[in-house]
This record gives sequence, C-alpha cells and structure tokens, in this order.
Amino acid sequence: MRRGRTVMALAGAGALALAGSLLLTAGDQGPQAARSSLGPPALGDPLTGDEIARAGEIASATLRTRMSTGRVELLYVERDDDKAAAHLRRADAYIYDYGADRLIVRTVDLGQGKVVAESADRGVRPPPSRAEEARAAELLLADPEHGRRIRAAYAAAAGRALRSASDLGLRAMIYTPRRHGAAAEACRTHRCMRLFVRLPDGSWLDTTRIAVDLSAKKILALEW
Amino acid sequence: MRFPLTLLSLVLATGLAGVPVTAATGAGPARALPASGAPAPAPARPACRAPYLVDHKLPNGARWRLCWEMRTIEGLTLTDVLYTPVGGREVGVLRSTALAQIHVPYDSGEPRFHDIGTLGEIAVALQAADCPGGERRGQYVCVTTRPRGHAYLKSRFEEPSLSAQGHDLAVYAAFQVGWYTYLVEWAFSDDGAITPRVGATGSLSGFTSASGHGWQTGRGTAHVEQSHSHNIFWRLDFDVDGKKDDVVEQYDFTGSGTAKRTLVRTRFTKEAKAVNGRTRWWRVVDTRSRNADGHRISWEINNSASAQYRGPEDEKFTRADLYVSQYRSCERLATNNPTPDCAMSVDRYVNAERLTDPVLWVNVGYHHVARDEDADPMPVHWQGFRITPRDVTAKNPR
Ligand SMILES: [Cu+2]
Repeated sequence: MRRGRTVMALAGAGALALAGSLLLTAGDQGPQAARSSLGPPALGDPLTGDEIARAGEIASATLRTRMSTGRVELLYVERDDDKAAAHLRRADAYIYDYGADRLIVRTVDLGQGKVVAESADRGVRPPPSRAEEARAAELLLADPEHGRRIRAAYAAAAGRALRSASDLGLRAMIYTPRRHGAAAEACRTHRCMRLFVRLPDGSWLDTTRIAVDLSAKKILALEW
Repeated sequence: MRFPLTLLSLVLATGLAGVPVTAATGAGPARALPASGAPAPAPARPACRAPYLVDHKLPNGARWRLCWEMRTIEGLTLTDVLYTPVGGREVGVLRSTALAQIHVPYDSGEPRFHDIGTLGEIAVALQAADCPGGERRGQYVCVTTRPRGHAYLKSRFEEPSLSAQGHDLAVYAAFQVGWYTYLVEWAFSDDGAITPRVGATGSLSGFTSASGHGWQTGRGTAHVEQSHSHNIFWRLDFDVDGKKDDVVEQYDFTGSGTAKRTLVRTRFTKEAKAVNGRTRWWRVVDTRSRNADGHRISWEINNSASAQYRGPEDEKFTRADLYVSQYRSCERLATNNPTPDCAMSVDRYVNAERLTDPVLWVNVGYHHVARDEDADPMPVHWQGFRITPRDVTAKNPR
C-alpha cells in the first residue's frame, strides 16, 4: 500500500494527491486505528479505521477538485481531544493547501457527520505525511547530483541497482527554518522537510545539509 | 470535568471521612449524549474500553486506571489517569500527558533537530521479551509491573522490622527517530508517584566534529563523535480531582550560608515560566479537595536532574525548565506546534493569561557526550522527572 503510492507519485501530482487520500480510505488505517471492533468505540478510544476514513471523506468533501489536481492534500486524521468537547466523538483532519501554502484543520463531528470547525494558517509546520515523505524521496532521486550519489551508495550497500524510492528506508521530518542560507529562506513559508535515508546494510546517507522544498519541488542546500 | 452534585457523588463522598464533597472524578453519569439544549455531561472517566483501558491493582492494593492512545503526531498518549491509594478514594491526576518535543541540537551549532514528527507512524513493534512480565496492547504498547525496591523499612523494638517491597505499573512504547530509538515510558508507583521518562538507544548519529565539540570514539583518533543535547518536553494537563480549582505553586527555600532556611511560596495566578533550582519544586494543588488531615490534595513536580540546555535567540523555548499555560486544545507541541490559529512554541503559550485550568510543560535536557561503550547498539540513557503525591492521603498509603 505505502510503497504503491511511491510508484504512483511518478505518474504525476494528480495521482499522488489521490493516493494521499486513499491512504485514509482504503484500509491502511493509520496508527490510532482501533484494532478491536467489539461494538462502537468509547468516547476516549482511538479512532477506528472506519472513523478515520469517514472523517477524511467528510473533511475533503468540498476540496475534491483541488485534491485531484494535487493542490490540496489530506495529511492525516487525529482524534480531537478538546476537553470542552469530551462528550463528543470528533476527528481533526489535517489538510495542506499547496496552492496557498496553508494548513487547514477541519474538525469533523462523527456523530453529526459534518465539519463543525475549521482553522487555517500559513507558516504552520505539521509533521510530514507518509505521502509527502515518499514525494520528498522522489524529488531527491530525481535531482541529478543527489540521485547519482544515492544510487551509487545503494548499489554498494545492497549489491543491486535501486529500482525506486521504496527500496530505501525513509523518514521525513519537518524542517525547522533557521539562517541556513538564501535558498532555505523559502522554507519560512513553504512546506520543507529533512529526509533520513537508510540503506539495506543499515547505514545512513548523509542528508543533514539537504532540505526538500515540496512547495517549490526543489532540493535545497542548507548552509552553515 | 466537574458535574453538578448528584446523588451518585454524594453517595461516593459519604464514605470519605473529612473529604469535602467535590465531584469524584471516577464516577460519572452514563455516556449517553445529552438532549439538544441540555448541558453536556462529562463522560465517565476513564472514557475508554479494552484494549485501551489500563486498570491495574498493584500488590499493595493501590490502583491506577488510565487510557492509552497511539496518536499520529504525539505517539503514546495517556489520558484520564486516576489513582486510588490503598484504603482511599479514587482521585484524578492527569487529564492527558504525552511528549511535546525532542529537541536535539548538536554542539557545533548544527544540525538541530525537532524529533517529533508523526511518532505514531514510527512506533517499533515490541516483541514478547520487550514486555517482561506484562501484556502487549497491540504491537506497540507494553503494560507491565515490576519491583521498585523497598517501599519502606523500619526497625522496631523487640519485633521484626516493618518493611515492604514496592511496585510500579509501567506503560511504554518505543519509536525509531532516525538513528535513535526512543523508549517513552510512564511508571505509576504503588505510593502514588509517577515517573515519566525517555530512554535514548539505537545508534549514534555518527556526526563528526572538530575536537572541541565531541569525543573520540572507535579506534584511535580518526573519528570525533559530535556531542549533542536531547531536550525533551512533556505536556501534562493536570486535572487534580477534576478540572476545576487547580492552582500551581512554586516553592523556594531562602538561606545560603545561613543556619536558617525559610519556605517561600509563589502562587502562579497567571501563565508563567520558571527555571530549576536545587531545592525548588512546584505543585499542582486542588484548592477545594482535602485529605483526611484537612490538607489540600496536590501533586508535586520535582527531581528533573536536567542539563538545562539554553539555546540561541531563535530557540527561546529552551530558556525555561517549566512552563505553565492556560489549557488550550490547540497547544500540543512545545515547538513546531501543528495547529493553525495557535502559537508556534511553548514560550509563546505563556503570555500572562489568567490560569484557571493549568497545563504544565516540563523540559528535561540530557547532554550526550559519546563514549566507546555507545558503539552499537547504544546503551539506553534515561532522562525524566518525578510527579509525587503531596497530601493526597493522610499518611503513608500502604
Ligand atoms: Cu544522544
């Protein structure tokens, strides 16, 4: 499922956004999905896979067009834990609008089946989703210099050629902007991440001076 | 959390000599949704069911009840933490607690990581041996009990000593963040204490540095492993005996080079930040609930043994060891807070707002200077702090 998305990312932004939303609707239910399904969940139970899927659908209902063009992407769904609404079953859908570089959080009341609150802001840095992590790796591999370096390191470590980013052990982390040179200044408003890349022999590539700008689809060199 | 005085809470309170009638956190009305227009009843606590409910009686009879959840961003999160001392009534301690950031700045100045991403996505599957004497909940969470040594030992006159062995209930998970594996644990003792701690293991990053910023590891002098800090932030939403009437106090003891020491209490009426002191501690006290001695029920924050890392201008969040903020549901992480229309870091949460429902943010740093023994797999190094009951019971609960 996860690795399938990486391949789809190559087919274009539209397919990727679709894949991103499929993450939450097609059975890959995220870490908090309740595993026992004996009756309805209690108020404080984690969201079930079904609830995560429903919340994602309800939250994205008015965004389908922009999602299909890859401008807007559902990152993940968290159980809403607001104390003031502790008597309700609610979910927060984290949605990133790449067109406006803006995070939108829509609170879905699962009982009513509708969006009951929305907040949005620029410059917010929620952690990368799995789809974003895969896309960051594709961008890094597509970069001539980094791509060559990674393929060579992979071939040396694995004894075979790298087929796709899904062969790599990936972990993206949100990039926290500091004074890292002119290129990195874009990350104060763009969606940028660091990428940790693990090879089959357990070693890690040195990616500490690289940030991937997903908004501009660029690899940035961090200077210090 | 505190619902109006009902027959149920009256019934509960009658069994408690000397305890004024305040809503008992453990007892709530049925979970049915209210009719429209009616005020929403607080759900029963803990508001979860198996396998998310932990309900454990330790060998001395103390009982802990809580819910766990593996959240996408914060990872292991505990809610509705309730404690029943031996022979006493159940008292609410925490509404919720989770990690709020792991900030890892390297000593040469770069790189500087903020390790909380989607922790829920990188939990490490625990094997049976990783949960000794306990029970795995799903693949990622261990709930177990273990001895904690002597609870007390007192010699007596012409009688055998009076002594007992204590026990902890531990709830933990592990997360793979880059090279590091972090063990994230809360231990709940049979004397009412809570020990949140994080153990860093896995592998060193392998970052080299000029010799002034690291330690030679491996054979000879070729490799200087760069020193770094692990500045870990916990978010603790205390609801001592219910959400209402919680106040945070700081205690200091004057006198240095003098024979006398004097207790100085500072009550935080507004949002505040504070730094550690060798004898300084804080407590979250419920101003209405009292123990059988007539003293206010509280939980004390102490013993962090933090390295007290203080970062540059753009890392103001490192410049205090404790932050106290008014509860806001959008304030979740100590840095890179992931919600719109909300401040970005814990130092910004604190802006003189009046405190009626305090949330505590505890910052504990560990300065890691690598040594040869850290070569793979790296031995666990722990950091954490203590939350101890102060006047929750009228005497040693045993
Ligand atoms: Cu370390």
